[in-house]
Amino acid sequence: MTEGPPGGQVVRALVIDDSSAMRTLLRRTLRELGFDVGEAKHGLEGLACLRGGEMPAIVLVDWNMPEMGGLEFVRAVRQDEALKGLVVMMVTTESGASQVEAALSAGANEYLMKPFTKDALVEKLELLGVEHR
Amino acid sequence: MAAADDMDEVVKEFLVESHSNLDQLDRDLIALEKDPRSHEILANVFRTIHTIKGSCGFLGYGRLESVAHVGENLLSRLRDGRLGLNTEMTSALLAMVDAVRKMLASIEESGGDGEEDYAALIARLNALQTSLVPESEVAPSVPSEPGDAAAKADRSGRRRARRASDEAPPAAPATSAEAPNLFDDPEGIGLDLGSERGSTLVERTVRVDVGLLDKLMNLAGELVLARNQILQFSISQHDAGFIATSQRLNLITTELQEGVMKTRMQPIGNIWSKFPRVVRDLALFCGKQIRIEMEGRDTELDKTIIEAIRDPLTHLVRNAVDHGIEAPEVRRAAGKPAEGRLFMRAFHEGGQVNIKISDDGGGIDPERVKQRALERGLVTAEQAGRLSERELLSLIFLPGFSTASKVTSLSGRGVGMDVVRTNVEKIGGAVDVQSLLGQGTIINIKIPLTLAIIPALIVTSGGERYAIPQVSLLELVRLDGEQACSGIEMIHGAPVYRLRGNLLPLVYLDRELAGGEADGGTPAPRRGGGETLNIVVLRADDRQFGLVVEGVSDTEEIVVKPLGQQLKGISVFAGATIMGDGRVSLILDVVGIAQRGHVVSAARDRALAEEAVTIDDGHAERQTLLVLASADGRRMAVSLSMVARLEEFPRDAVERAGRQHVVQYRGEILPLIHLADVLDGCPSPATDSNEPLRVVVYTEAGRSVGLVVDRILDIVEDTVTLQRGVSRRGVLGSAVIQHHVTELLDVPRIIRAVDATFFDNSAAA
Repeated sequence: MTEGPPGGQVVRALVIDDSSAMRTLLRRTLRELGFDVGEAKHGLEGLACLRGGEMPAIVLVDWNMPEMGGLEFVRAVRQDEALKGLVVMMVTTESGASQVEAALSAGANEYLMKPFTKDALVEKLELLGVEHR
Repeated sequence: MAAADDMDEVVKEFLVESHSNLDQLDRDLIALEKDPRSHEILANVFRTIHTIKGSCGFLGYGRLESVAHVGENLLSRLRDGRLGLNTEMTSALLAMVDAVRKMLASIEESGGDGEEDYAALIARLNALQTSLVPESEVAPSVPSEPGDAAAKADRSGRRRARRASDEAPPAAPATSAEAPNLFDDPEGIGLDLGSERGSTLVERTVRVDVGLLDKLMNLAGELVLARNQILQFSISQHDAGFIATSQRLNLITTELQEGVMKTRMQPIGNIWSKFPRVVRDLALFCGKQIRIEMEGRDTELDKTIIEAIRDPLTHLVRNAVDHGIEAPEVRRAAGKPAEGRLFMRAFHEGGQVNIKISDDGGGIDPERVKQRALERGLVTAEQAGRLSERELLSLIFLPGFSTASKVTSLSGRGVGMDVVRTNVEKIGGAVDVQSLLGQGTIINIKIPLTLAIIPALIVTSGGERYAIPQVSLLELVRLDGEQACSGIEMIHGAPVYRLRGNLLPLVYLDRELAGGEADGGTPAPRRGGGETLNIVVLRADDRQFGLVVEGVSDTEEIVVKPLGQQLKGISVFAGATIMGDGRVSLILDVVGIAQRGHVVSAARDRALAEEAVTIDDGHAERQTLLVLASADGRRMAVSLSMVARLEEFPRDAVERAGRQHVVQYRGEILPLIHLADVLDGCPSPATDSNEPLRVVVYTEAGRSVGLVVDRILDIVEDTVTLQRGVSRRGVLGSAVIQHHVTELLDVPRIIRAVDATFFDNSAAA
């Protein structure tokens, strides 16, 4: 799961999305911003990644995934003491006001709508106080 | 966003992922038709389109995005239960899938999602959103028994109850893509998420370029050769260390080769996955109701074999839908459920892969098959009479059984059962058919697991060894001494051997390989009388022939290697192999040799019936004859030996060229001869008849002429005692055939009367 220089650097960003194209896209972008990027295909896998290693600086999670969707993932994270303080940003096309509200009240820190530019992503990272290149 | 070639990687990912998802989507939509309430499937379908749409924004595919957007809206309503699925919606969604595929293809080709206007499709999908069809309307596959309906209602009731208790969408099984996933995970995540979640959570597969696999395969073959040589050395060595090591090398090489061959194995499900959609669309088009069931999707085959049977299987499936299964009314009248059942099953057995395609349709009528075969002159009445029911059914595999003019747009042009059989046999397989009239048909296909290793008979000729694939081998005949000379007969200048009463045309391997040119001519003089002759009886296409070789060795399992560039074009060789002593032997292409030796004619102009055996015994001749009748009931007959084909043309296809009646035939102009014009006392056929013209086609040296006849009665093989009575122009004489007085026509004369030069460039009849 850990990408980056050998010697086992800490995963600094985790991308959770069932679309491999999206994961590739996000991975590339985050790498450019200096992150070591880990990936998971859905919420359950994402939880396993988190519980197995160090906390990433940020988790980008999609809304609509099989097994465990984004909303459920966020709720699970917020209920877990061990994952306290984890920064979670939902990345998705679901655009209605109700969805945004649901995401934030479930405990997501931020919400990013697809398609987004690199600048938009950077803006959110800064809002969240996440260090990047 | 990311740099330019990074985006290329993303696009590639997007294409691969989307294609794989769309295939699943096809299957899901069809499964959904049968189970429209399935929330799992609906959620999957929605998510696929949603994912595609999501990526479009980043990659700039505006058209694709708008189509996906509309589809997503419709699917969202379906998923939320605000709309109920019906046939129209399914068709529209499938149309959307096709449109998406088109755009993906365009992206792959040119980087953009194409120029086409999808306004109509978008409008259609939009309109369906407001169709407000009540949820109770389900797809037309109505359960036939009341028991079924009750069970279905019960299931959907339970599902509704379950849905109510869930907040988020219930867990759906991970979509199992047909192609191996790109997710490279050598170490595994070490998750134990409970086996009840399903098997494919963590994909442990890698995608590999096919070219690389082929390269590995070749290298493995080379390793086998090197291993063989080392083993040979080790026989003469006494160093225990060396012997032990070479043994180890031996074992490893064998395992490596087996492993490499395994990499080429693919599940047959890869080509099957498209069938549900094909069947659905076709059934809809024909107005039939058909359910397809498939078993054994995971059965694995070598990749090349899978490619080779893709088309034959498709044809068989389409055939079953088009011709096999009857229309619902017909079925109900016969006491069958309105919905027909098409069942496909694949499994391993006896070192081969078996594929069974069965339907519960109307079956094949052996009588009709027999009639059709007789009409087309593919068998004589006498032969047909001797055939068992199963053998009669096999007649459908004969070339020429279904003529090009009868092809429907559904079953495809030019893909008859004969092509299916040819393709299957080309890869070393076999196909046969069983049927019960009124009940259904079963097609059995058996194919080898791999083409890479085949059992072959090793023969020698001209001092060299050659391999003959065992699948074509029927038997071996050895003629010693005197028999070697007398056993070979010459018929029409071609050598034949009489094998249990049947004539076996012979091909001399040494002649063919020495570059024997176009004409067969006489065989090379045998070296001294009384030498042993080995005849390998082989099957090519539909015929048997004997290959004369010097010597016959063992049967071995050989590794097939492709021919190098220089040899690829030679039709008599199918490949090469490396023998145990490290030397190369060429593998013979049985069909290629047969064609070269003129034992099997090129596919299209296949001659009719068996060769006529003429025993000249005074006036009594045994001939194969086509018996005709004229409008006034008079019987005539023509010798079949020169007939190329029997054809039927609609009357309005006849045109005039000068004084000649002609018809267009196989891209050429076929002059027609009316017997009335040529024979004295022969009545003219009724010109106002609506029946098609029956024409007997003669072909000589590339030219054809058609003899128009009134009625074709039969094909007879009989001893004919000719009475040369008062000579009439165009008639050889009369004879009693089938208890009727029949006039034997002098066809060459008749033809020459119309076209004096017809036979000029060939041996005169």
